[in-house]
Amino acid sequence: MGELVNIFIKSAFIENLALAYFLGMCSYLAVSKSVKTAFGLGLAVIFVLGITMPINWMINTWLLSDTGIFGTDLTFLRFILFIAVIASMVQLVEMVIEKSSPALYNSLGIFLPLITVNCAILGGSLFMVAKEYNFAESVAFGLGGGFGWFLAIIGIAAIREKIRYSAVPPGLRGLGMAFILTGLMGLAFMSLMGIDPAAF
Amino acid sequence: MHSTNYIIRFVLILTAIVAIVLSLMSTGLKPIHDKNEAVYNKSAILSAVSNEIGDKFATLTPDDVDAIFDKDVKQLIIDMEGNIVQAEQLNAMGYKDVSAESIDMEKEMKKAEKDRMLPLYEYTSSNGDAYYIVSVRGKGLWDAIWGNIALKSDLSTIAGVSFDHKAETPGLGAEIKDSKAFQEQFTGKQLYDEQGNFTSVGVIKGGAKDPKHEVDGISGATITADGVSEMLERGIAYYEPYFEKLKK
Amino acid sequence: MADVAVKKKEGGLQFGKNEKKLLTDPLNDNNPITVQVLGICSALAVTTLMNKALVMSIAVIFVLALSNLLTSLLRNAIPKQVRMIVQLVIIATLVTVVELALKAIDYNVYKELSVFIGLIITNCIIMGRLEAFAMGNSPWRSFLDGIGNGIGYGIILIIVAFFRELFGKGTVFGWKVIGATPDYLINTTDSYLFGWYENNNLMVLFPSAMFVIGILIWIHRGIINKNLVDVS
Repeated sequence: MGELVNIFIKSAFIENLALAYFLGMCSYLAVSKSVKTAFGLGLAVIFVLGITMPINWMINTWLLSDTGIFGTDLTFLRFILFIAVIASMVQLVEMVIEKSSPALYNSLGIFLPLITVNCAILGGSLFMVAKEYNFAESVAFGLGGGFGWFLAIIGIAAIREKIRYSAVPPGLRGLGMAFILTGLMGLAFMSLMGIDPAAF
Repeated sequence: MHSTNYIIRFVLILTAIVAIVLSLMSTGLKPIHDKNEAVYNKSAILSAVSNEIGDKFATLTPDDVDAIFDKDVKQLIIDMEGNIVQAEQLNAMGYKDVSAESIDMEKEMKKAEKDRMLPLYEYTSSNGDAYYIVSVRGKGLWDAIWGNIALKSDLSTIAGVSFDHKAETPGLGAEIKDSKAFQEQFTGKQLYDEQGNFTSVGVIKGGAKDPKHEVDGISGATITADGVSEMLERGIAYYEPYFEKLKK
Repeated sequence: MADVAVKKKEGGLQFGKNEKKLLTDPLNDNNPITVQVLGICSALAVTTLMNKALVMSIAVIFVLALSNLLTSLLRNAIPKQVRMIVQLVIIATLVTVVELALKAIDYNVYKELSVFIGLIITNCIIMGRLEAFAMGNSPWRSFLDGIGNGIGYGIILIIVAFFRELFGKGTVFGWKVIGATPDYLINTTDSYLFGWYENNNLMVLFPSAMFVIGILIWIHRGIINKNLVDVS
């Protein structure tokens, strides 16, 4: 159990997908104008990461590896199958949000379908394979990674809401400032990378 | 809005077209792919001794690579205890091809440590010096990294290296392969210290201090560089039992 | 956004004012990176060296133009419920076909490009254009849109890479230009400008790309195109 908590904390804070590896930046920058929409997208990412990670784990271990049911090494299919799983999950999320919260659906706009190609999701799955996690660990890694991304987007959305009242030069207002803020947040998060997760 | 029936038909037709196109291409081109890959791997191995081959290394054609490999390179397969494994033993273990170049390091690394088979290449240069080329494999940031290390006949001095990777970030981790100058740093480094203990060669972030056992890292690619250090230390040590026997 | 489909007779290959706009808009008013915020991850990853940024740009122009064209041809047949998977299948198939062909034609180039393949499939600029443009426009217009957006993306990539490589490694396209700090990336040993310059390692790290793009946006909106200033 302690090991799982470790992985969760590590993936949420120390190896934050958004701020340490800069994955999933397009939707991160575009949808962080207000905390409310950022919250919605953050939850969607937690959900998609938390679900696709275990599914992709099962696909990778039981179908694709040479000890799986086909008995041959099919890892060249990894990419396309991982993406297909992610695309179906995102499509599912899109349908649910469209039905349950049309306002959120409209404010997310094109960036909801683009979660599919949000590199944080695919990157997460590839990290999971590279780190050879077992099933439970992959769930913890998915949820932790999603939670970290959620925290990061809420953080920048909150800063962007406040900075609207500051005297930012006209050309930097909005997107330009968001880029620079993300860079600064990334620098801050780099200092966390030295922490030994075993200390928790 | 399309009917469910239509969706299923559409998806099936699309899948069929994609599957047919891809599998036709993949099987049709496979012989060419295999040949290209074999030459590529051979030249990666020879690249570790490119200093000995000299300037002509850069202009070798695929046929030249094959010719050098047939003429100057002796291929051996050894086990983890340092014994040379004979062709009959390999056949008995289910290996179809018994040359060192056919050893798939990816598969070997997934086996239990004691069962691994290791490829070893003995290159004889034009003036008769022998070089031993060992293969190592490890992990970078995203996926596998691997390399070939050429050792001089004292089995400690590195004569050259070549690295490759599956998916490291271009311009950062991928520099282990792309930057010839990064690889050049390894030439002349020692695997053993003066007391004869195996120390390997480390890739050090922020600048190498020990001129014999350390090389400079790549800024922005700490995890890949650590992967290279780990791969060298573990991978070369696999060959130690054989080296011990050679030295006697 | 200027993505409103222009009502026009379909199918022709005419090249009028509207078509020209498809090519030039993404260079300025509707730049994929600085205005549409698409393709940021790869812009961060490949801009440490200029030649990598150039290779990536060419690959993206190619894939984007062709996948836009294919999707547009199929746009009336693709059922809405599964459109994302279909789009991804088109992108992934296209990339794989190119990969397989290249692997047979020139293995060294293939090895050089293979690390970009994952970055291209997940590059949201491609799916973003398929979703926003190709699903609602004629094939010819979609093709032009792909080329335009690819170029708009490439320009930013190369500008960012120029600053990151120059200040991070003191080189341009791998050739040492400024600073005298010994660096294993040096291709030449001639004397350089500004011998006192020490390479700034921060420029090689991800956050610096954020700063460079942020400043580019500032210049873009503050000087070149003041219409883009965010007034919300």
